[in-house]
Amino acid sequence: MAVSNGFQLQVDNISMAFGGVQALSNISFGVKKGEIFSIIGPNGAGKTVLLNCINGLYHPQKGEIYFEGQPISKLKPHKRAEMGISRTFQKIELFKGTTVLDNIRLGRHIHLKSGLISGSIYAGKTAREEIEHRDFIEREIIDLLEIEHIRDKVVGMLPYGLQKRVELARALALNPKIILLDEPLAGLNLEEVEDMARFILDINEEERWKTTCVLVEHDMGVVMDISHRVISLNFGEKIAEGTPAEIQSNPSVIKAYLGEVEDLYATRR
Amino acid sequence: MSNVWLPCGLYHQKYSEDHGWWQTPVIKGKMILLLVLVFIVFPFTLTGYWFGVANMIGYTAMGALGVQLLIGYAGLVTLGHAAFIAVGAYTSALMILHFPWPRFLIDWGLAYPISIIISGILAGIWSVLFGLPSAKVKGFYLILTTMAAQFITVDFLITQYISQIGGRGQAFSLPPGTIKIGPWIIDGELKTYLLMAVLLTLSVTVVANLLRSKVGRAWIAIRDNDIAAETIGINIIWYKLLNFFVAGFIAGLAGAFWISNTAALSPEHFPWFWSLWLVGVILIGGIGSIHGVIFGSIFMVIVMELIQYGVMLLSDVYPDLMIKFLYIKESVFGLVICVFLIFEPRGLSYRWWQIKNYFNLWPFSY
Repeated sequence: MAVSNGFQLQVDNISMAFGGVQALSNISFGVKKGEIFSIIGPNGAGKTVLLNCINGLYHPQKGEIYFEGQPISKLKPHKRAEMGISRTFQKIELFKGTTVLDNIRLGRHIHLKSGLISGSIYAGKTAREEIEHRDFIEREIIDLLEIEHIRDKVVGMLPYGLQKRVELARALALNPKIILLDEPLAGLNLEEVEDMARFILDINEEERWKTTCVLVEHDMGVVMDISHRVISLNFGEKIAEGTPAEIQSNPSVIKAYLGEVEDLYATRR
Repeated sequence: MSNVWLPCGLYHQKYSEDHGWWQTPVIKGKMILLLVLVFIVFPFTLTGYWFGVANMIGYTAMGALGVQLLIGYAGLVTLGHAAFIAVGAYTSALMILHFPWPRFLIDWGLAYPISIIISGILAGIWSVLFGLPSAKVKGFYLILTTMAAQFITVDFLITQYISQIGGRGQAFSLPPGTIKIGPWIIDGELKTYLLMAVLLTLSVTVVANLLRSKVGRAWIAIRDNDIAAETIGINIIWYKLLNFFVAGFIAGLAGAFWISNTAALSPEHFPWFWSLWLVGVILIGGIGSIHGVIFGSIFMVIVMELIQYGVMLLSDVYPDLMIKFLYIKESVFGLVICVFLIFEPRGLSYRWWQIKNYFNLWPFSY
């Protein structure tokens, strides 16, 4: 069933258990090229595990993941990055000892050609290549994400909101075909949330990028506003899939978030 | 916008200026002055004893540079670096003594230079071999596997088998005239000093260049966050092994230099304590900094020489001190490490950075 229905990323019936805990059971869905696809669910529903499976940090015990028609569930994370899958993390995972610029340069890693010997001489082609990529980073990424003023700051010293933005910049520097965003809005203030949502829309819609986004997020306002399609997980099972409007009116989603109606009465009493 | 302080009115116009090592005329002048000092002034002014000290500093710095690459730039804690220096030294010595060189290579004085490169490569490969466990283990567990390198290489293979080659007991001695680069026979202190200065400058250049290109950045990424490094497309196992190779290569160069300095070779030159010592050098100099390697080496060697001098002065009064010098040396080493960890955990290079910043803004530091 791999490529037949035109999905860019297809998750086919994957299951994953940690000991006795069934983190994911028989999840299937497809992400179309160029859409913003959101995964929602209460805490512990398995959203991050799902992203880790797509990204390669975990290997699902059952099922297969296809990216542009290729099965990828056996590949290591760095191979998947070379294929064009990039991600950000819920808990910021930047290279804290280095500058913002070096973090973004590291995102260009897969596009750089220099090796051990050419790098140790650092003349001619290597120096030119560094300058070309620096130019790309300055023009395309730093300008888009509005982080000119911090490019030489050490990442560990920056406030949380900016660190989130640098992480997005690093993920974008890979020039990915699909970008997995794990709670990009968590812990941000209202203004930063609006900025971040705008960046996600920019990445998705601008002719230059046109990148597919897979979004895991708790901020329902933003999710319902910007996503094209949404799936909802609960205790490792997919309970609903559809447009934001369909998800909002789906009784099992409401139940997962709010609990049984009778429970509500019980707590009120 | 740059990572150094630029004087008023000085701006970079091109990215290449921002990527350069020496970004302002003052820094450029200072570094050229340093090179002039090392390559022209010192050879003419130093005397025998000070050449010996300088050679020891250079040898320590080359060893510590490899340790810095492993610990400071890739987070791979190692306690077996002396093994790779030993591999370099023995490879070079054995090649000079026993390799059937064609006559013309010996006449042209290429045997020793070629053996330096070969010993670098062999020590690098040997280092990769003991770096293989780093694919699976890190931190304290990796320390154990690198210590295995020390004991397997030096205490077992070299002591038991390799140093028996030639059947003259434990020590190799290199006959005068065999260590020859081109037309020059490396015999005097001046010539070993120049060889040291060239090798050290080359290794520092290579490391500094690597650190501003793809490979070095990948190492730093692995040190800071290996999970994130993997997700941005860095093959962490490959880059860890590459790091082991470069660190081993520089250790091999250091070892090959060592035989020109001593003209004799025995397994006691590479005890486990020397591996520990090199880690101490970068702790004192500052982890994650090339300046730290140089400062740490200078500091440690000079401090040891001062202690030796002091002990000699005091030996008239307390003759025991001379006998117990080894214990004094080791306890001072421990004490210095403790003092640095408590009062300056970021090492001498951080202190240097602070002094530089103070003078950059002086006298208007607000």
